[in-house]
Order: sequence, then C-alpha cells, then structure tokens
Amino acid sequence: MNRPARRLAWIGLGVIVLGIVVGIAWPSPAESRSEHVRRLALEFRCVDCEGLSVAESATASAAEQRRDIGVRIDRGETDDDIRSAYVELFGENVLLRPATNGVGVLVWALPIGVVLLGGIGIFVALRRWSRQPRLVSTDDDDALVAELRMPHHDD
Amino acid sequence: MKHPLRWAALAVGVVVAIFAIILAVNVGTDPRADLNTSRLLGKPAPDFSLTKFDGTELKRSDLAGKTVIINFWNSWCRPCRDELPVLQQWYRAHRTDESVVMVGIPRDDSTRAIRQAARDDQMSWAVANDQGAKSATLAFATRGQPESFVISPRGIIVGSVLGPLTPATMDQMVRVGKRNG
Repeated sequence: MNRPARRLAWIGLGVIVLGIVVGIAWPSPAESRSEHVRRLALEFRCVDCEGLSVAESATASAAEQRRDIGVRIDRGETDDDIRSAYVELFGENVLLRPATNGVGVLVWALPIGVVLLGGIGIFVALRRWSRQPRLVSTDDDDALVAELRMPHHDD
Repeated sequence: MKHPLRWAALAVGVVVAIFAIILAVNVGTDPRADLNTSRLLGKPAPDFSLTKFDGTELKRSDLAGKTVIINFWNSWCRPCRDELPVLQQWYRAHRTDESVVMVGIPRDDSTRAIRQAARDDQMSWAVANDQGAKSATLAFATRGQPESFVISPRGIIVGSVLGPLTPATMDQMVRVGKRNG
C-alpha cells in the first residue's frame, strides 16, 4: 500500500470510529413515561411465562408489574432502584440481561476480551509481516529478465 | 516467551478455558431455579388490601396475631383444582381453630369465574379479589399458581410453596407459624 492510500485508509478508519463514538454519546430525545416503562419492562423476565419479558407478556401479573414500574417511576425511583427492587423480590434471574456487576460482568467482559485480544493478535501479526524485508531485484536479476524477454530466433 | 503472538494465543486460550468452565458449571442447572424459591421467607409479610365478595375489605393488619395461610389460585388452573380437595379437607378439620385464617386470592381470573368456582367448590374460607391499590400478587412476588404462603402471628412469612399443597405440608407450615407466634 503506498503512502496516500495508507493515509486515506487511516482517515476512513478515524471517520468510522468518530461516527461510532458520536452515535453512542449523542443525547437521545426525551423519553416519554410509557417508553420508559416499556424499556424497563423489557429488562424483566415474566415469571409466569417461558422466555417472555414483562413488556411482552399478557398475563395479569405482568400487567401489574408494568403498572408498578410506572408507579415507581412517578415516585422518582431511578432505573437502578427499580431493578434492585425486582431483584430483591424475585432474585437475580428476573433480569433478562445479565447484571453488570459480580459474576455477571464476565458475561459482558469475556466476549469483549476475546475480540480485543484477537484484534491485538491480528495487529501484531500484520505489523510483523509488514516489517519483513522485501525482496529487491539486483542488476543481475534485471539483466536476466531482460534477456528472457528478448525474442528468440532458433533458426 | 519472546513472541507477542504467543502471549495473545495464551490469553485467548485462558479466556476460552474460563468460558468452558462457566459452561460446564452451568450445564444442567435450571436458570429459573432462583425464581422457584421465594425470597420473602423469614421477612415481614407485605401489606395488602383485598376486597372480599361480600364487599368488605381485608387488610393484613386485620389478620395480626393469627397464623394466616394465603393461597394464590385461579379457577382455570388445573393444579389448583387438584389442590382443592386438600384445602377443603384441611379447612374442615381446622375451621374451629380461631388462631388460623385461610385466604384464597386469585392471581389472574375474572370475578365471575372466581365467584362461580368459590360457590361450586364450596370454598368456605375467605376468597378475595386482588384488585386493590396494593397488589398482593406482586407484593408476595408470586411466581405462578397455586402458590401458598404462611404468615406467623407476628407477621413473618414462615412458609412458601409453589405448587399444590399436601395436608402434611399445611400442617407443618402452620405448626411453624404458630411456633413463631
């Protein structure tokens, strides 16, 4: 890869990284109460059902939990307060997403660790390969190639 | 180790090994097991406010000083129907014991179906609708039906069973409740 192309590739990579960072950090528009309730309800497992969240379930207990989440939001409880209250009531497994503390952090950290280590490995390997000396043809080699390219007259 | 690649390979190997250990430990365990054990055992019973079919209100404070059996059920629930003869038999044997109260609370049912089931099945104990401002279904963190709790006279939850009760379980839970009174 020549220098301008390499520079262009770095600029492209920078733009992509910047785009991702801005996309994540950009403040989202204000959330309505019902959106807030739904977002939290999606995090909790419906205790009566198999594999459904409180937001998706049609059972009376799930409806009661959605109402309760709304009441707690109105009372000024934070998302973490509400999560803690439900974990206190039903246990850690009421959370559909693993917790981000204790052993649960492994579930998040290990895949990221694998990707990071893989990326570092690829980076190191590419750097090593790019440092290997390139073969440069000598004058003798060039003369040989020129000779071979010359038209041959057998007769 | 001189080569960074070997370090990276070793690190990836360690991470994969951790994954394998976690997988091996968790294979065969029920991820919902945590949900199958009430976390309210040994804690004060939550407040509740229910409306009985005669229109009167039933609050936790009304039951203070008594051993209370709370049974969550539904008229359409098969295991609840299977449990019913046990409840009827136990209630008949203890109905004169004024220190024990039994309350049936439907979890997810229509008032009409509850009324009919209570009448047809001769539920002589208190059956109350859980439609008050404080939901007992959620306050007791119920996980299905039938599910029963025993509250001691001091207001502590001393027993909890998810699934149909047996006469022996009922006797044992009430005994524990009275002992903790």
